[in-house]
Amino acid sequence: MTDVADRAPRSSPSGEPAISAWGLTRAFPSGLALDALDLEVYPGEVLALLGPNGAGKTTTVRLLNGVLAPDAGSSRVLGLDPATEGHELRHRTGVLTENAGLDDRLTARENLETTARIRGFDRRTARQRTDELLERFALTERADIAVQGASTGQRKRLALIRALLHEPEVLFLDEPTSGLDPAATRDVIALIGALASEHGRTIVLCTHFLGEAGRLADRVAVLHRGRLQVAGRPAEIAAQMWTGLPVEVDLGGPAPEAVVEAARSAAGVRTADATPAGIHVEVGGRDHLPDVVSALVGAGAAVFAVTPRPPTLEDIYFEIEARIAAEEGRPVGATS
Amino acid sequence: MTAPATRPSAPTRPTGRNWGAIAAIIKKDLTAVRRSKAVMIPMLAVPVLLLVILPLLIGLAARAQTGDMSSFLASIPDGLSEPILALPAEEQLIVLVNGYLLAPLFLIVPLMVSAVLAADAFAGEKERRTMETLLHLPIENRDLFIAKLLGAFLPAVAVSWVGFLCFCVVANTVAWPVMGRIFVPNSLWLVMILWVAPAVATLGLGVMVRVSVRARSTQEANQLGGAVVLPLIFLAVGQSTGLLLLDLPVALAIGAVIWVLALALTIRGARRFTRDQLATRI
Ligand SMILES: Nc1ncnc2c1ncn2[C@@H]1O[C@H](COP(=O)(O)OP(=O)(O)OP(=O)(O)O)[C@@H](O)[C@H]1O
Ligand SMILES: [Mg+2]
Repeated sequence: MTDVADRAPRSSPSGEPAISAWGLTRAFPSGLALDALDLEVYPGEVLALLGPNGAGKTTTVRLLNGVLAPDAGSSRVLGLDPATEGHELRHRTGVLTENAGLDDRLTARENLETTARIRGFDRRTARQRTDELLERFALTERADIAVQGASTGQRKRLALIRALLHEPEVLFLDEPTSGLDPAATRDVIALIGALASEHGRTIVLCTHFLGEAGRLADRVAVLHRGRLQVAGRPAEIAAQMWTGLPVEVDLGGPAPEAVVEAARSAAGVRTADATPAGIHVEVGGRDHLPDVVSALVGAGAAVFAVTPRPPTLEDIYFEIEARIAAEEGRPVGATS
Repeated sequence: MTAPATRPSAPTRPTGRNWGAIAAIIKKDLTAVRRSKAVMIPMLAVPVLLLVILPLLIGLAARAQTGDMSSFLASIPDGLSEPILALPAEEQLIVLVNGYLLAPLFLIVPLMVSAVLAADAFAGEKERRTMETLLHLPIENRDLFIAKLLGAFLPAVAVSWVGFLCFCVVANTVAWPVMGRIFVPNSLWLVMILWVAPAVATLGLGVMVRVSVRARSTQEANQLGGAVVLPLIFLAVGQSTGLLLLDLPVALAIGAVIWVLALALTIRGARRFTRDQLATRI
């Protein structure tokens, strides 16, 4: 698991945002899919759009690429308004849709060349570009076979190639690793990492996999039932949510009550609770750790390991879910 | 895997209709359809049955015997029966069936081909979950609509015309010993082929475009469409059995009515064919 503190920002927000949205809202007969979304993504940034099923991630992508029209609010992508300049915009964006959206009856090459032709490449360039990408993505041997028999991983790679044919400036990836096995997931993640570092490309990555988001994203935005809950760098979000530093201490077994009490009274300790392996404490900062250790040793405990554990994206995500659940007065984890 | 390093030369962005993109979509749809047996078999079986086997059987039957046609001919409009009654008895069956009765029945061909292809192009795109990908591409709504229309209309007309050529060859060849001359195409057939058949193809399209807005699968679209297409087929059968037998001015007028209906349906379909509407119903 990647923790949120050790990730150097890939780029710093500077200049005009590549994507911005103000109060972006869209309803369907079934209800609000997106409720007044405010969002900024800077050029070269990877933004992870997180949220459970039905949170509004796909709707956001459709609105930002001018496929759906907003009911209220507006947005700019690469300086264009998706609602009125969608056609221009779609020349400069690429989308990997949730289901790969390949025609099973066509070959890999036919699927790609059709897209290249629609995108305005001449026949020769379309073929050249397709061959080049098939080779790079290790799909050359599948090129002239109907997509029907392709594995989910191959489909995702094909769909990714299709989204990249024209070297888009903004790339929307809607659940790029769903349905993939661990090896294929790792490959796709590595690939996205490489794409992100190219040409200052801006990427919006919709996912429910927090590990993937933690590894790839500069910033995250968490949606829940159409509402934006938080947005920012994971470390900054964590700092807002928790002021202290959680620490796991290995005592070779659950801490007895006396040891827990000793830990609680040590300087800088905010909370202390026994865990199966020892004790979990939250301290004001790293500087307090020696005091904690001497308090534990003083109370007769044997300290095997002390591990500061900055909050992960998972911690952030589940804390947000828990806070929403608490607000709505339902048990954590229960869905409506 | 490394990522591409070079940016390809910027594609040209033509103004007006983007015929390159339209052609690419038509080509994609037809390539896919050609590989689908479930679509191809009925689409080819009906024209072969109507335009090759039926005239063959009629011709052979006429060569074998000559039944008395006068009572049947008395029940059809004078405008049609008079020229046929004026023919030698052995020619009457062939001319009546291949020259006239088959002409309205023939309309099933453009109707069916365009309906089947339109269902595949509009509802099928949803069913295969490929519509969303198309919507994320830089193609204008209008160009996408035109591509889908032409992708069904052009093959429907092409199949009808090629089928008609086959029909002419078979009908004239098999009837040669009786007729001793080329008797199709006559003027009624020409009106059918050049005027009514394209109108009927457009009608099949218009119906399917309308139906495909709601249908989630090709099958559903075909079922819904069948509610409209089947009555038309029965009408065609009814006409061919002599109840509504066409003569030239009637054929021209019916063609005009079908054109108006078909265009009205298609234009309505085009108005609803927006990205937002399509994306909402994915
Ligand atoms: N075309 C549509 N018609 C009706 N309701 C829709 C439509 N598209 C989305 N919705 C609704 O809007 C809400 C948000 O959907 P959306 O697909 O954007 O969520 P998501 O975050 O992408 O979810 P998932 O993780 O399942 O892909 C959901 O409640 C969904 O049912
Ligand atoms: Mg989604």
